Amino acid sequence: MSSSGPAIETRGITRAFDSRKGFLFREATRTEALRGIDLSVEQGSIFGLLGPNGAGKTTLTKILSTLLLPTSGAAYVLGHDVVREADWLRPRMGLVLGGERGLYNRVSGRENLRYFADLYGIPLGERESRIREVLGRVDLDGASDRRVEEYSRGMKQKLHLARGILHRPEILFLDEPTIGLDPKSARETRKLVRSLVADGVTIFLTTHYMFEAEELCPKLAILSKGRIVARDTVDRLRHLVGGDRTIEAEAYGFDDREVDSLHRLPGVSKIVTEEFGPVSRLTLRVRTDETGPEAVRAVLANHAELSVRERRTSLEDVYLDLVEEEAR
Amino acid sequence: MMATALGRVSRSRSTYASLRLAVLQFIADPQWLIPSMIAPVVFALVSFELFRSAGPYFLTYAILGAGMMSMWGQTLYGSGWATGQDREFGTLEPTIQAPTPYLYVVLGRVLWNVLSGLIGGAIVYVVIVAFAGGPPALPDPVGFALLFVFVMVTLASVGVVFAAFYVYTRYAGFIQNIGEFAFYIGTGCMFPVVLLPFYTNPVSLIFPPTWALDALRYLSIPGYRGFAWGFWGDLLGAVATTAVYLGIAGAVFTRVEHHVLEEGNLSEY
Repeated sequence: MSSSGPAIETRGITRAFDSRKGFLFREATRTEALRGIDLSVEQGSIFGLLGPNGAGKTTLTKILSTLLLPTSGAAYVLGHDVVREADWLRPRMGLVLGGERGLYNRVSGRENLRYFADLYGIPLGERESRIREVLGRVDLDGASDRRVEEYSRGMKQKLHLARGILHRPEILFLDEPTIGLDPKSARETRKLVRSLVADGVTIFLTTHYMFEAEELCPKLAILSKGRIVARDTVDRLRHLVGGDRTIEAEAYGFDDREVDSLHRLPGVSKIVTEEFGPVSRLTLRVRTDETGPEAVRAVLANHAELSVRERRTSLEDVYLDLVEEEAR
Repeated sequence: MMATALGRVSRSRSTYASLRLAVLQFIADPQWLIPSMIAPVVFALVSFELFRSAGPYFLTYAILGAGMMSMWGQTLYGSGWATGQDREFGTLEPTIQAPTPYLYVVLGRVLWNVLSGLIGGAIVYVVIVAFAGGPPALPDPVGFALLFVFVMVTLASVGVVFAAFYVYTRYAGFIQNIGEFAFYIGTGCMFPVVLLPFYTNPVSLIFPPTWALDALRYLSIPGYRGFAWGFWGDLLGAVATTAVYLGIAGAVFTRVEHHVLEEGNLSEY
């Protein structure tokens, strides 16, 4: 390991993109993609970054992986400055941006890996065995000599992953690694991610899939409009949005007095009302065990068609609460 | 702990990897057979007819004209275009992110373009010799061959600078297309620059191939009247301007790489 400190540390990272429109009269516009990001990621862990489209996840990933310069602030990976020490960092980090692009489609998957193995200076004597190893890890060994243009989207995603780990990086940036994968391949990818962490690799993961983040990431951050709106373990984030228990009640309309009564129940921290045609749904976040479904049923006893159920507050609940709160 | 592969990144190995990939992509894509294999045959036939009445050294004129026609675009623009393809494929980001400076990747492609340009030149030679019924009268065949390769190097040195434009902006193809024919005529690829109006000469002289092509004509066509400073002056000028272009390319690449990381436009195409 290159440093005993955090694997990633950022201080007040901002990033703005300038664009110009028009031919004769150029109109300049500035978009603030990141607005002061402070992060710290422990070595050998998986850190998840969640956020809606356009929140700045890919921008932050590219800054940390030396592909983009921040407008201001500082970022350190393995204790080294991503701007001034990019040459030192690049052989030690892997980046998987994924998607349909980013590969040489007219040549085989194996040739793609050979090319990048050479650019990363993998010793020639190890090159072929290393390629075999990573192809095996992503389950592409049977298709490695086929042209990439014949690959499905999922296979391309696997090849991206194989390239990302080919040079055995100390830190791996994964931007939506399971997008486009079928459920089986996605599960295998998550298994691979866990095995990499077991090998000591630090993983920085962005994803849209809440269950994936919940399953893989002991710690995560939620990014919205270029700011980190929350950063902690999933359990603590549940507490942040009002409790780890959620009770949902559905009926044909609730009145304000009923909602006020529910608010007064012990431990109820938040109630969200939603309408689905004639059906209304109340979602209660509950901090303590004192209030359960029975107490809610008692308050709403006047409704003949009432359905009440209790579940654990999911990461998706946390995410939606925080992102919606930020949007307001 | 998985051991990081921190083998020393050899720049020559990176250049070779890039050359190899360029060859594989060429083989995989039959559309390249047209500009690199079939077009030289057409150019050779056109040039043969065009220079038929140009005197005793018409074969040399024909070979130079057609050879340059088939090679200049391949060598000069192929390198820039390959970088444009990196943008299109989305491979520019992972390539820039790799520890090898991108300039060495471009050099591999330039080498391939030089080689494929030479293949085109060889095809031209064979076709014209076949039609003429014998080889041209060359006063110094070995010098001609060496200088021919050097002309390719001068074209490639401009190609590397073009490649930097492609890294810099996705609009490089637009700039290249605008300059294409002006460059073709201005450097004397088809006919000697001295035939152009005098006021165009200073512009022509900033390009290394202008000097190298004039030197090549001096060497291969007795009685040729090119620039006043003659063969050795041309050769010196070609070496000096090529060195300047390669130096500019190195400096430009370093700056361009920094600039695109500032702009964040590596994935645009």
